[in-house]
Amino acid sequence: MTPARENILARVRAALRTEAPRPPVPTEMPIWLPVGDIETRFREEFVALRGELIDGADKLPEFLKPFERVATDGSELVRLAVGDGNASVREADIGVTGCDCLIAQTGSVFVTTRSAGGRALSVLPPVHLVIARRDQLVPDLAAAFALIRKRYDRHWPSSLCLITGPSRTADIEKIVVMGAHGPKRIAVYFTG
Amino acid sequence: MTSSAIRFKRAAAEKAGNLHHRAVIQKAIGTYHAAVALGKTRFADWQNARSHAAQIKWETINHLDRYLEQFERKVIENGGRVFWAETAEEARAYILQIARTRNVRKVVKSKSMTTEEIHLNEALEAAEIQVVETDLGEYICQIRREPPYHIVTPVMHLTKADIARTFHEKFGTAPDATAEELAGIARAQLRQEFLTAGMGVTGANFLIADTGMITISTNEGNGRLSVSLPRIHVAVAGIEKLIPRLEDLALMWPVLAIAGNGQAVTVYNTLIGGPRRDGEMDGPEEFHVVLLDNGRTHLLADAEQRDALYCIRCGACLNACPIYRNIGGHAYGTTYQGPIGSVITPHLRDAADWSHLPYASSLCGACTDVCPVRIDLHHHLLHNRRNAVQHKFDNPLQRFAFKVWLWAMQSEKRYVVAGKLARLAMRLGWAASLAKPWTQGRELPEPPPQNFREWWEKLNPHPDPLPYTAREREVPSSPPSAGGEDQGEGANRGEH
Repeated sequence: MTPARENILARVRAALRTEAPRPPVPTEMPIWLPVGDIETRFREEFVALRGELIDGADKLPEFLKPFERVATDGSELVRLAVGDGNASVREADIGVTGCDCLIAQTGSVFVTTRSAGGRALSVLPPVHLVIARRDQLVPDLAAAFALIRKRYDRHWPSSLCLITGPSRTADIEKIVVMGAHGPKRIAVYFTG
Repeated sequence: MTSSAIRFKRAAAEKAGNLHHRAVIQKAIGTYHAAVALGKTRFADWQNARSHAAQIKWETINHLDRYLEQFERKVIENGGRVFWAETAEEARAYILQIARTRNVRKVVKSKSMTTEEIHLNEALEAAEIQVVETDLGEYICQIRREPPYHIVTPVMHLTKADIARTFHEKFGTAPDATAEELAGIARAQLRQEFLTAGMGVTGANFLIADTGMITISTNEGNGRLSVSLPRIHVAVAGIEKLIPRLEDLALMWPVLAIAGNGQAVTVYNTLIGGPRRDGEMDGPEEFHVVLLDNGRTHLLADAEQRDALYCIRCGACLNACPIYRNIGGHAYGTTYQGPIGSVITPHLRDAADWSHLPYASSLCGACTDVCPVRIDLHHHLLHNRRNAVQHKFDNPLQRFAFKVWLWAMQSEKRYVVAGKLARLAMRLGWAASLAKPWTQGRELPEPPPQNFREWWEKLNPHPDPLPYTAREREVPSSPPSAGGEDQGEGANRGEH
């Protein structure tokens, strides 16, 4: 260990010998508004973010048609829905992955390196398609973390990501532009 | 006055009189406020959310040693490495050494104020390692060789036309490109950089003690690409970025996003807990976390202002601050601008050089009102003024003026005489030259021919209704708190 570590910790401990005032104690009142029906809420939030919902098995081939080079995470759920991929992640026009859960309150998709085929597949290709089941919907972030904790505690994937809509930037005059570095489009297809 | 104070005054005066600058900033901040107001409607109780967030940070900061050790242990368990840096120089040297020993020629960076603080880019460039900022705003700053104007919105001060011109000069693109085209150009340019960089450097929005993870929030996805493609990932974070539990993010992520720009949550909230694991498709071979002190323990030792370390760098206090909106981000000359910068900079850097900053405030308390982690910002600005006076960092002439003012205010006779003299000085034009820094951009009002009391007595010509002692008591007998001098009304507002 470097002396820096000991020096910093010693300074921290010395500093904390003097007590600091506590902030006002939070009340028991709920912080969030009720989520309501989780599927309805997810659809509303996801669409408001300019996410695309693919409704019905017949719509999926239509959605996939323009994409020549497809990369998938190779999972059972994804294979059943779209078959095998035919491209590497760096060349793909679309990345197709599963997810850990979908969050109604924010219209988000929670992925990990394990549930979505590594780190790049859900961010490098210009389009990201998520294949999910309706029973993967959870009401809010707290429920998502409870699920994630239960699934991975002590065996954490090296990376996890809460994805909320397509990539975007508003750095230029606060004008929202979709597709800054990540996918310009994100879509969700429910297999059941 | 120190050289940084002189620079500050000059830059602030210039920007405050620049109407173009004012229009650009008012527009951007107007958009921000509208989005935030909408974002807050997602909460049943935003004030309670702030209290919860403040509680989480209080718990962490006041047990920081414990959480730092837990975090370190978990990162190592996850296969990552932790480097403790007491100073910016130590942090730079470590990162440089990693880059050199691994033959890194190019570094991609995700937006990070902490790396701005340690001047990492300059150090890497001096070692002939190419550094590419990948956040669009930071990328524009890098091309223009300007520091970020705002901790969240680096090019808030530029118009679309300014940026189109910059890209035109650099890449030969259309001089009237749209925002969409400009973002597209940056995407194409930077995609190649991501694919060829040897190292990704990021900051961290939070450090999670109980799982040994760092989090990065970006809308663009540059944070994710920076930690997915290069073979080395280095995250630089201040020691105050810790929070105890993974589950705390269920509140902290939305709070950061709402306060930052009104979004429910940032598009990509990424957690990194180590290098690529066995069986994973991709990811860096090495993961390093640089834990930076660089003056933070000094601030921690000040129990009165310790809550300034709760800061999650959302930028809300900058956007709320009437001073920031008028003088702009560059005038401060600091890494962290606005109220939070004026609170922490005198602690993180040489107080003698930066104690002028807390005076650049109306003490209106808007910063405190908007802070999502309830930092008592405007009182800390006042505390810093008091500290400056105690350490004699303030202006001696000003100190003398306060003494005279106090002496004059303590007796009714002196008060009346001082008022007469002041009106005379205004009439003769002496006041205008005395108050020159103020009158340069403004007009001094016409002095009234008499004071209020003379006017009142003329209107109500009857014998003095009050005994002399009662009248004496009407006159303030002690001055307001140090520093509240010319901003009387504002100073009071914070006490409500």
